[in-house]
Amino acid sequence: MKIELFFTPGCAKCAGATTALKAAAETMPGIEWREVNVLDDLDRAVDLGVLTLPALAVDGELVFTTLPTVEQLVAELRRRDGERGDGA
Amino acid sequence: MLTIGKLAKAGDISPDALRYYEREGLLAPASKTDSGYRLYGEDAVRRVRFIQHAQACGFTLAEIRDLLHLRQADGACCDDVKSRAIEKKLQLAAKIRAIQKMSAALDVLIAECAGGSLPVDDCPILAALEAVSFEAERT
Repeated sequence: MKIELFFTPGCAKCAGATTALKAAAETMPGIEWREVNVLDDLDRAVDLGVLTLPALAVDGELVFTTLPTVEQLVAELRRRDGERGDGA
Repeated sequence: MLTIGKLAKAGDISPDALRYYEREGLLAPASKTDSGYRLYGEDAVRRVRFIQHAQACGFTLAEIRDLLHLRQADGACCDDVKSRAIEKKLQLAAKIRAIQKMSAALDVLIAECAGGSLPVDDCPILAALEAVSFEAERT
């Protein structure tokens, strides 16, 4: 799964929470973590419908329009992982 | 002190707009005369200019109120303002893209119509707008 975290440089909220979110996500198999500074890739943010920051997308779908808690992120990744397993 | 007329002239804005800013919580008179006329301090000219410049950047009045509060908030810093500017830019970019899509949809409709004096019942643009599957939406 590909996770994209959209942030603005200097965002204290993002800096504080990113490390914990990334560590939690990477306990799952096959995670690709990308941090996107919207000033560097505005088009990608617009593609996904990001209007507020920080925001987090999973597999190209905007899932969280504010930073999730670690528990919310892990639950979402597990749900998606389960759906993939069911579909296999 | 400035009367509403003088402030309006200094800010190149109508007195009605200043009263609207007041209703929206963006600008308040420093005092009122005995007869109830609004009086503004010299800082009101700067505030009006701030509001006008922020509107020119696409901020809504509610967002401008937020920016004005931020300016006075003890714990706020430049990054807080910058993040609002970046979010506004994101919203504008999304609107620009939506408008480009509308323009492309109109291009499709215009290309379909040869013009001329056909009756409107045969107009391909009207027919396309009425169709169940709208070709231009897929552009």
